[in-house]
Amino acid sequence: MRYIASALLVLLVFVMVTGITASNRVELDPMMYDYMVRHFQEDTHSKNAVAAILLNYRMYDTMFEALILLTAIIGMTQFLPRAADIEAGRQAHARASADGGDEESETEDDHA
Amino acid sequence: MPDIVPGEESIILQMIVALLYPFMLLFGFYVIINGHYTPGGGFQGGSVLASLFVARYVIYPVEDTDSEVLHAIQRVFLSLILVAPMVLLFTGIVTRNPELRTLYLTTMDILIGVQVGLGLGVAILRFAFFEGVGKTWHL
Repeated sequence: MRYIASALLVLLVFVMVTGITASNRVELDPMMYDYMVRHFQEDTHSKNAVAAILLNYRMYDTMFEALILLTAIIGMTQFLPRAADIEAGRQAHARASADGGDEESETEDDHA
Repeated sequence: MPDIVPGEESIILQMIVALLYPFMLLFGFYVIINGHYTPGGGFQGGSVLASLFVARYVIYPVEDTDSEVLHAIQRVFLSLILVAPMVLLFTGIVTRNPELRTLYLTTMDILIGVQVGLGLGVAILRFAFFEGVGKTWHL
């Protein structure tokens, strides 16, 4: 039931988005496109329009794109334990359960 | 968790990776440095550079690279990425001196490339050694 509901939701969003976009289509004058395609060489001395846009016209986009990678890696290093950390935690747990006594079977099951 | 003996991996993989390793490095820097002439650029070349970490992990799955050091270098490059356009582009130095344009593009490509390569390398190493160093490849 939940899957059918989510499938219907996805279908509804798809139909709404495509339908609204198709019914309210506005033909804009492609000023920016024309300007960039015509002038990127003398503006930026780049032979490649993609590099010109990424490194000159949309520099903020590139800067914050680089920040997104840093954010992802910070999350990874904070929440993903290393093998050494797992091993240290396992040994500490084994020591604690050796002192306590009755939790050892659970740890064996966890790390099997 | 078996101990990894470096000579124990497949000799075919070792030879192929040893043969391709300098070319992968060269191709990564080629894509980065020619970013404003040919298709490519910092992000793409950085991904190619990050594949060096994968190739090294495939033939030598030992966690002897400190990912914290890589992350620190990556943060330095990221701060340079943030500072360089603020100093060069937004103040108008590059606009007033058009001969600096190519230098600026190349510098930014190299900074972004190294940053993305190290960042993806850190991610790859962290995920690869997440469950310990037990995963080996045998042909």
